Amino acid sequence: MKRILIVDDAAFMRLAIRKALEKNNFEVVGEAANGLEAVKKYIELKPDAVTLDITMEEMTGIDALRVILRSDPNAKVIMISAMGQEAMVREALINGAKSFIVKPFKDEQVIKVLNQVLEM
Amino acid sequence: MSGTYSNEPMLDMFIFETSQLIEQLEQIILASEKETGFNSHAINDIFRIMHTIKGSSAMMMFNDISTVSHAIEDIFYFLREENPENIDCSKLSDLVLEAVDYIKDEVDKIKAGEDTSNNPSELIETLKEFLANLKSENKSISLEIKEQPKEKPQYYISPDKTASNNYKHTYKAVIYFDEGCEMENIRAYTIIHNIKDITSDYHFFPMDIIDNDESCEVIRKEGFQIYFKTDKSYEEMHEFFMQTIFLRDLELTELEDDEYKKIAETKETEVEEIKVLSSEPIKVPKLDDEEKIVIDKSRQTAISSQSFISVSVTKLDQLMDLVGEMVVAEAMVIQNPDLQGLELDNFQKAARQLNKITNEIQDVVMSIRMVALSATFLKMHRIVRDMSRKLNKEVELEIIGEDTEVDKNIIEHISDPLMHLVRNAIDHGIEPRKERLAKAKEAKGTVTLEAKNAGNDVLVMVKDDGRGLDKSKIYKKAKEKGLVFKNEDEMTDREIFNLILVPGFSTKANVSEFSGRGVGMDVVARNIESVGGSIIVDSQLDKGTIITMKIPLTLAIIDGMIIKVGKSSYTIPTISIKESFRPKQEDIITDPDGREMIMVRGQCYPILRLHNFYKIHTDVTSFTDGIFIMVEEDEKSLCIFVDELLGQQQVVVKALPNYIQKYRKIKGLAGCTLLGDGSISLILDVGELIKL
Repeated sequence: MKRILIVDDAAFMRLAIRKALEKNNFEVVGEAANGLEAVKKYIELKPDAVTLDITMEEMTGIDALRVILRSDPNAKVIMISAMGQEAMVREALINGAKSFIVKPFKDEQVIKVLNQVLEM
Repeated sequence: MSGTYSNEPMLDMFIFETSQLIEQLEQIILASEKETGFNSHAINDIFRIMHTIKGSSAMMMFNDISTVSHAIEDIFYFLREENPENIDCSKLSDLVLEAVDYIKDEVDKIKAGEDTSNNPSELIETLKEFLANLKSENKSISLEIKEQPKEKPQYYISPDKTASNNYKHTYKAVIYFDEGCEMENIRAYTIIHNIKDITSDYHFFPMDIIDNDESCEVIRKEGFQIYFKTDKSYEEMHEFFMQTIFLRDLELTELEDDEYKKIAETKETEVEEIKVLSSEPIKVPKLDDEEKIVIDKSRQTAISSQSFISVSVTKLDQLMDLVGEMVVAEAMVIQNPDLQGLELDNFQKAARQLNKITNEIQDVVMSIRMVALSATFLKMHRIVRDMSRKLNKEVELEIIGEDTEVDKNIIEHISDPLMHLVRNAIDHGIEPRKERLAKAKEAKGTVTLEAKNAGNDVLVMVKDDGRGLDKSKIYKKAKEKGLVFKNEDEMTDREIFNLILVPGFSTKANVSEFSGRGVGMDVVARNIESVGGSIIVDSQLDKGTIITMKIPLTLAIIDGMIIKVGKSSYTIPTISIKESFRPKQEDIITDPDGREMIMVRGQCYPILRLHNFYKIHTDVTSFTDGIFIMVEEDEKSLCIFVDELLGQQQVVVKALPNYIQKYRKIKGLAGCTLLGDGSISLILDVGELIKL
């Protein structure tokens, strides 16, 4: 079972993603509510992939992405973005995010992106 | 609501989180207002909160909430990015608060399972207009910014043009994305980003995929076209494109070299300025600084983030119920009639240990349910702000002891009364500025909210330094309405003040928008009484009024004295008991109406024969055979006559069945409880018995 770390400052979003993943046989190994926690948990848990929100307190998703990739250049990070954040998604992709999901999303979309990223 | 996400936990989480965020937002706005402006921290926070609510509500298909929060998010995005100088802060606060109210309202409706049909289009219009004005008023800055994107490259081409001739194959790829996958332009960008590893000679259409969001539409309709040369085989390239996420369709064809050249040329002439992608600086984070931050901050957040979990209140209620059952079960075992008269040393030892642990569990469970009053108190800031604006009075809210904790269930019951009291204080208590100055008071009125522990109770006080209550006015009014039967000089100050709690009393002739809307102090009193509390009114003319709500710490478990009348047993909360004694016949006085009273230490107290009151048959009817229990509440006392005392015990309060509470309307009962032997004991409501 693939191990996923969910990062989002909104508990609701974490729940939404968790539900989508657990229904489809992924293991959610951890949740983090901000960028700093995300980095810590990534290093501690070494998940197969991370879903990473962009707008967060303490450390934004983009900064967290950079630090995660520095600790593990092969990290598979999927950005969770919202409409209107095109510029930031682009920055994330330049910085090494593997893909992205746009809120509001459907379960199938999350799974599809994850499967594809995990195959890379 | 959406079919996909109608499952309850999601909805619960949405409601919970959104309400919390909205409250947080409200506090930020009010704090910013005090500072006369939004600092960058506040702007960031508001932006983030609105962003979160927008996302969550869109997921739950609450599109109205989503659009409203989106509109606010846009405004604060502008504030954050452009940092404009001309902001009408007070109007902005009003607008955001209006949006807050709207979202609150909608969430309440969602909670109640009602239709969320309130159309926010007017609000959204105003918000958009505000943003447009903001932009035009701060034109000089925003223009500068807006011009920037034009300088950005519109067309990317390989830096190494000479190499292009060496590639073996030429392809054309047309890519179609899944419908509804969003941000097609960024997805197209991802492909271009990846193709750089394969070739340096490529052209694509539409070209402005980064800067122009409308390119999404073009990609949706016509697909994303890439022309490129490479050494890779058709199969390899096919595989490369098939990796694309949300790929709906791929048309990959091999081209002749001539065709490619033609396309490349036409594209090049279309573009005036060609910029080279790789020359664009890519931000490389500074290693040292950032990592330092990570280490410094992670220590703090790690502790705070992992030591809390959220648990649903229903589970806590269940736990509380179970602990209650356990206390009863424990009593059933330890006081089991089978054990009577036996000498059980080891059993007693074990029983004491069990008793100690159950007490501890009870304390812990109780403390889990305790919530600080701060959130409830902080809500009052908004009310003070709105009221002082509308009534044109300067009022400051002072908060003392907001850390005081009470049971979660009780908090819900005091929020509304508190709101009402604060409104009353500002509306009726605090005088208008002129009047205050004439009385040599400070122009700014003060309303103080104070909470403190007092034994098993929590006192919540609402104080104001306003005009105070006018005793004679209150008395006259009550007399007119037929609410009093005593003479004014026979009543204590407190008794007169308490008249404002009687249903049907309202001193103000003209009812203002805020307070006195028919629901008056009597409703407040009833609310507080429903959780076993009481209200005390204190006032001094021209100095101010203090209204104190006395609320029990918790409802669930109380210390009680079990008494016996005939074959029935009753429980009196130990906290109300002053003393118990066997009377002497000569102390009993009977007045001409046949009412019995007793003299104790020179004071005269009324007597209540419990067997008469509840019509119970008992052999103990002579005062000398039974025992008196003197109880006190609100400085009034009563002697209750009962057969005998059975002992003191912690009891779990259970609500009376509706049948007894509502239909029979039996007075003087606060609830019931199960005793150790499995029998039922009724808990007496001392306050009500005294008032009889």
